[in-house]
Amino acid sequence: MKFYVCIKQVPDVNAPLQIRDGELLQDRDRMILNAYDASAVEESLVLTEEHGGKVEVVMVGPDKARETLRKALAMGADNGTMILTDRPDLDSTAYSRILAAFFKDKDYDFICCGKQAQDTDAGLTGSMLAEQLELPYVSNAVGLNYENEKLIVRRQGDAGQEIIELPSPGLVTCSNDMNEPRIPNLKGIMQSKKKPVDSITPEDLGIDIGSIELSTNILGFEEMPERETGKKFEGDPDEIAREVARLLDQEAGLV
Amino acid sequence: MINFELTEDQQMIRDSAREFVKRHVAPDVISRDSKKEFPRNLVQKLAEQGLMGIYHEEAYGGGGFDTVSFCLVIEEIARWDASLALTVASHTSLGAGHIALAGTHEQKEKYLAPLTSGEKLAGWCLTEPGSGSDASGLKTTAVRKEDKWILNGTKIFITQGSVGDIYVVLAKTDPDKGTKGITGYIVEKNWKGVNPGEPIHKLGMNSSDTTEIVFENVEVPLENQLGEQGKGFIDTMKVLDGGRIGIGALSVGIARGAFEESMKYSQERQQFGRPVGNFQAVEHKLVQMATEIDAARILVHRAALLKDRNSPYTKEASMAKLFASELAVKAADEAVQIHGGYGYTKEYHVERFLRDAKLMTIGEGTSEIQKMIIARELRKEFGY
Repeated sequence: MKFYVCIKQVPDVNAPLQIRDGELLQDRDRMILNAYDASAVEESLVLTEEHGGKVEVVMVGPDKARETLRKALAMGADNGTMILTDRPDLDSTAYSRILAAFFKDKDYDFICCGKQAQDTDAGLTGSMLAEQLELPYVSNAVGLNYENEKLIVRRQGDAGQEIIELPSPGLVTCSNDMNEPRIPNLKGIMQSKKKPVDSITPEDLGIDIGSIELSTNILGFEEMPERETGKKFEGDPDEIAREVARLLDQEAGLV
Repeated sequence: MINFELTEDQQMIRDSAREFVKRHVAPDVISRDSKKEFPRNLVQKLAEQGLMGIYHEEAYGGGGFDTVSFCLVIEEIARWDASLALTVASHTSLGAGHIALAGTHEQKEKYLAPLTSGEKLAGWCLTEPGSGSDASGLKTTAVRKEDKWILNGTKIFITQGSVGDIYVVLAKTDPDKGTKGITGYIVEKNWKGVNPGEPIHKLGMNSSDTTEIVFENVEVPLENQLGEQGKGFIDTMKVLDGGRIGIGALSVGIARGAFEESMKYSQERQQFGRPVGNFQAVEHKLVQMATEIDAARILVHRAALLKDRNSPYTKEASMAKLFASELAVKAADEAVQIHGGYGYTKEYHVERFLRDAKLMTIGEGTSEIQKMIIARELRKEFGY
């Protein structure tokens, strides 16, 4: 069974966001493997450990994001491909086009993606990629099993779980609820140095990254405006009620 | 030599250790401290991560990483649980460290490999009721009797004393020769006459195991002599040099914990209408901590780098240990102060940091002993 997992490097959501001159500050210590992708890597590893097969990871990003690819290899993925680009403004359309070009001549059973990336939370790349590759597709999986060469995918609903059969080749996007991704151990870190990583460019895939079509543009980053402090009312309950009603009507325009 | 950026390997190891500690170590640390229980399950998990022999040779199951990586891991563990960091540091650099330094190939295969894999734990037996840093005064004896050494004596304050499986024991073989009459031995706990005592109650480091061990007519096979006869003291000094780097890293971890908890608390705690962390009195404490933590870490990593390059590092290791351990106590003290009444309670982490930190200025040579070592090295440098 051959898995491809698409991964992305994102800013650590637990570290406070720092914005300077309209640019997001992205220092090395604050960049991590997207948590949803980590779950996709983990689930692919568990399935191939049980049923045999290989896990290959592929990432679109700048050269300095390589360490994130290495983390997936340290977790246990067999090899990786780095599609190098320095363009910081790629959107889901562009990512999915680059990845579709990469997968065009590849053999695989399943492609796994995180259901979204923690940087933009757009959650589009997986579905756009499935569309372009014309693959059967299940989104937002919370559990995967492998039976009779098919993936049995569990999706979470409000009242229960939906169980879907996904034939090979197919694409599934993973929720981070499905597992607790393993932490690379020292052996894994050591081995990850020796695992093969292909470095290619979008041009190698026939894509001119300079003129790649984006469907959206990032204009800039702004700090969250500080929330105004709430109003505190003291005194006679009847008067307070009257005052609150007046404010809701006249200032908030809600009544 | 001057490069303040971690290598990719070092960064990966630190990040993995940080993730591990956050997931497995941080959650129950307050309860482990109050129950004074040795966390075997956590040590097992650390072993699965490969963290029980980080810098030992891969040929003997070690990680084959450098001493800076080891320091990074110890700092990450100590950030939350100094007791556990002490277990890892003493196991790796004292017990296993002595075998790695002076052991034969056979000894390393038999004893070092199960230590680096974490299958077994090491205890290092130097200190005695009557002798600490003055190792020449130790009273434990090893007497040759036919094809055995007979070991007799009492060791105290042995980390992993009762949970350990393999001990390195320093004993006098030639009582007239002073420090030149000391030899090391590898002793297994389950041998006849090896009697670990009950855990000693301590001020801090509560979930690290410390006991006395009485050796009573213990028969040690000749092949378990560790290093040359009479060279035990020289090896001991080298082992301690390495150990002090670990204590330095552990101290940096405690100080960082004290600082980070204080930073968080002082921004959340409001008094007189603003966060207490915005009063200059508190600000200055935080700034002092942050600055000195960076300085301590640089001293520790410098010593680690020198060790990895096989350059002399006795002075640098002592400087790092002295500065970092004094800082750990100071930072933990300030952290309790910044937390006020809450800091004095066991609901918060900082009172534990203060109790744990105090061992740092004592274990593996007190601050006063570090100053003796540094002064001696300085005199050598100046030709006196």
